[in-house]
Amino acid sequence: MHTPPAQATITILYFAAASTAIGKTVEEIPLPSAGLALANLASLLTSRYPNTGLEKVLQTSQWSVNEEMVDDPTTVTLTGGEEVAVIPPVSGG
Amino acid sequence: MSLPPAASVESILEIPEGTIAISHSLNVQEIINSVQDDSAGATAVFIGTTRNSFKGLEYQAYTKLALKTIADIVRNAASSVTRSDHQPQAQRDSSYVASLVRCSVHHRIGTVPVGEPSIVIAVSSPHRKESFVACEQILEDVKRKAQIWKREFYEGEDEDTAQWKENY
Repeated sequence: MHTPPAQATITILYFAAASTAIGKTVEEIPLPSAGLALANLASLLTSRYPNTGLEKVLQTSQWSVNEEMVDDPTTVTLTGGEEVAVIPPVSGG
Repeated sequence: MSLPPAASVESILEIPEGTIAISHSLNVQEIINSVQDDSAGATAVFIGTTRNSFKGLEYQAYTKLALKTIADIVRNAASSVTRSDHQPQAQRDSSYVASLVRCSVHHRIGTVPVGEPSIVIAVSSPHRKESFVACEQILEDVKRKAQIWKREFYEGEDEDTAQWKENY
């Protein structure tokens, strides 16, 4: 008997304008079996939440992966288990 | 008011240069006391407070990442601040005397009513110039980089329509 491996997922954290756009602060989403280029995550999330304003927020946001800011999303491929966060422009102080 | 993210929690990070904390309440005097040392001749303190043009502010943070970011900011400030010119030459030549003694950076999360502090930065140093310079540098870098967000509630405004702010 052979059990197929559990499907890979990532955890996505939404903050500030990203969370108010979709009414969620965290969720787990499945990844394609080949993984997902971080540069393609914005379009995947936009298709999950059409007409919510999330697309506009993502245009000015950055990504963090496993608590590190990502300088160049084209260099990162998600393979499962990562904690990815949408980081809108900050406003602390 | 919307539920805060599960990742926006209280936490403290201790590093050799000082303390970084994200919390639901701030005790200004305790924060100042935490950087006191007999070798420090100067303490600079910045207290950022909610103005009365708002009903209040709501802050949230990606706490784990914000603490790491502020720790980097503090380390950078500690290493970049140069000694004041009036220090004796012998001390300036010594690589063993730190320009800063201690830094403490505390940022509040949750709802902050008018008149209450949202951020407190305390920096102590042997001489005044370094603590002033480091305190301002830390504040500006925190506002630019730390993964913390606020939205302002104005009197009479529906809380659901309150907009998240952007520092830059």
